[in-house]
Amino acid sequence: MPPDAPLLEFHDVSVAYGGRPEIWNVDLTIDRACLFGIIGPNGAGKSTLLKAALGLVPLVGGSVRFHGEPIDRVRRDVGYVPQRETVDWDFPVTVMDVVLMGTYARLGWFRRPGSREQTLARESLARVGLADLATRQIGRLSGGQQQRVFLARALAQDAGIYLLDEPMAGVDAASQEQIFAVLTELRAADKLVVVVHHDLRTAAAWFDRVALIDRRLVAAGPTAAVLTPDNLRRTYAGEIDLLQEVGQAIAARGRTE
Amino acid sequence: MTGTWLPYNTLVVAAGVAAVGLAAGVVGSFTLLRKRPLVGDAAAHATLAGVAGAFLVSGRRDLPMLLAGALAAAVAGLAALVLIRRFTKTRDDAATALVVGVGFGAGIVLVSGITARGIPDGAGLETFLLGHTAALTAADATLLAAVSIAAVAVVLLILKEATLVAFDAEFAAATGWPVTLIDLVLVTLVAVMVVVGLPAAGAVLVTALVVIPPLAARQWTERVTTMLVLAGGFGLTAAVAGVAVTSRVPGLATGPVVVLAAAAIFAVSLVFAPRRGLLARRQEARRGRAAEEHRP
Repeated sequence: MPPDAPLLEFHDVSVAYGGRPEIWNVDLTIDRACLFGIIGPNGAGKSTLLKAALGLVPLVGGSVRFHGEPIDRVRRDVGYVPQRETVDWDFPVTVMDVVLMGTYARLGWFRRPGSREQTLARESLARVGLADLATRQIGRLSGGQQQRVFLARALAQDAGIYLLDEPMAGVDAASQEQIFAVLTELRAADKLVVVVHHDLRTAAAWFDRVALIDRRLVAAGPTAAVLTPDNLRRTYAGEIDLLQEVGQAIAARGRTE
Repeated sequence: MTGTWLPYNTLVVAAGVAAVGLAAGVVGSFTLLRKRPLVGDAAAHATLAGVAGAFLVSGRRDLPMLLAGALAAAVAGLAALVLIRRFTKTRDDAATALVVGVGFGAGIVLVSGITARGIPDGAGLETFLLGHTAALTAADATLLAAVSIAAVAVVLLILKEATLVAFDAEFAAATGWPVTLIDLVLVTLVAVMVVVGLPAAGAVLVTALVVIPPLAARQWTERVTTMLVLAGGFGLTAAVAGVAVTSRVPGLATGPVVVLAAAAIFAVSLVFAPRRGLLARRQEARRGRAAEEHRP
């Protein structure tokens, strides 16, 4: 792979579902390991952007490159945490079974997880604070615990780049804190963590860099430089009352730094 | 026929049909887990037309030939389902109803036409409507068993991949698994099981053999592997019950007996299973209420 290619690069990406445009002409380059937030209102195409990066939805135009390579050549290095609601939690598997699924791609066809995979899965579970619940059926977990199971599965992928789709949605405060702690660890281990996130208040405090998305890219860069009232107004045209609160959150962050 | 309790031929047929019941339960578990329980229905109702077509083309009534025709028709039915989904805005359930209706209608027209015109040897085809194991030879039963065992072997081979896709197809795709291919293998297995299940349960009822044992098994366990074992065991039990009863009652179709046996197993599972059973859930609700009342 090209040595100086950016970690993740969206070049003029457009996606449409059934003829309806979802996102268009997104140009976004992430060239260093950091906690990167993709922020925008509901229906802004944030999740679609992640799915486009993973090749889960067809691009109408443009391209996505990881380390300068198309996704199919780097899949093993890209961890993914989908939205929790996308699966049936009544499925007859245990917490451990789900986390082991993170090791399947490396195992390849027909090979079953062995002691190496078991160890990796157990470590991943411990990192999200669920070591005690390994044998529990996944339906018997709280929403926050389920989200952490998904995070543990991604950790078991042992990737260099992580894409997370709304990992904090519908999650209790304790789980949020635990998830954020793990994401910070990943950044400390020099990994890129891209998080689709809808809550502006926490975004200001959590992310090093952000992109504001409203079907197109509004702005991207260091968090404080991007989350300006002007940019937010352009992104959240319909949700003005939020802006005041965010301004306060940013101001508070400035004071603590 | 000798005076033993069960003649040799019946024993072989029972063993063959037992293997079919087991494999139907195992394969059916994945259609249930993948939330596509009606896929088998579209395939099953199309098989009758395939059986009749194979008979008309070959002019003979030997089982491998007829089942090959049934498999071709089952695949055609599933292909129709896929095409309707892709190129029209018809809902899944409506598309299934369409394929079931048209496929079955065509089958009935062909079978009753063959019977009405008095084509030699054609009189037995209607047994494929409701299943009739008494007519099976030992060679037929061996064929059914061999195909069934192969189907189970394929499921066991791709157990990891199939479970991943059934639980989270999006994650599977994101991590590089060919979801469509894995789905295709599973659907093909269902078509195969529906076809080899025809002699035991018939075109109308064979779907039940694929759907009911897994439903019952799901009640008892929270693990996929245990579910497969139980569903296989329940399917086997229902199939053997069908053969045992109909081998002693001449003229009785096997399919309805098999399905009723499976339904009985399901009813017991629905009520008595620990945790998921109705009784257990009622008790849990009662405990929950009691805890609520004792709270200060």
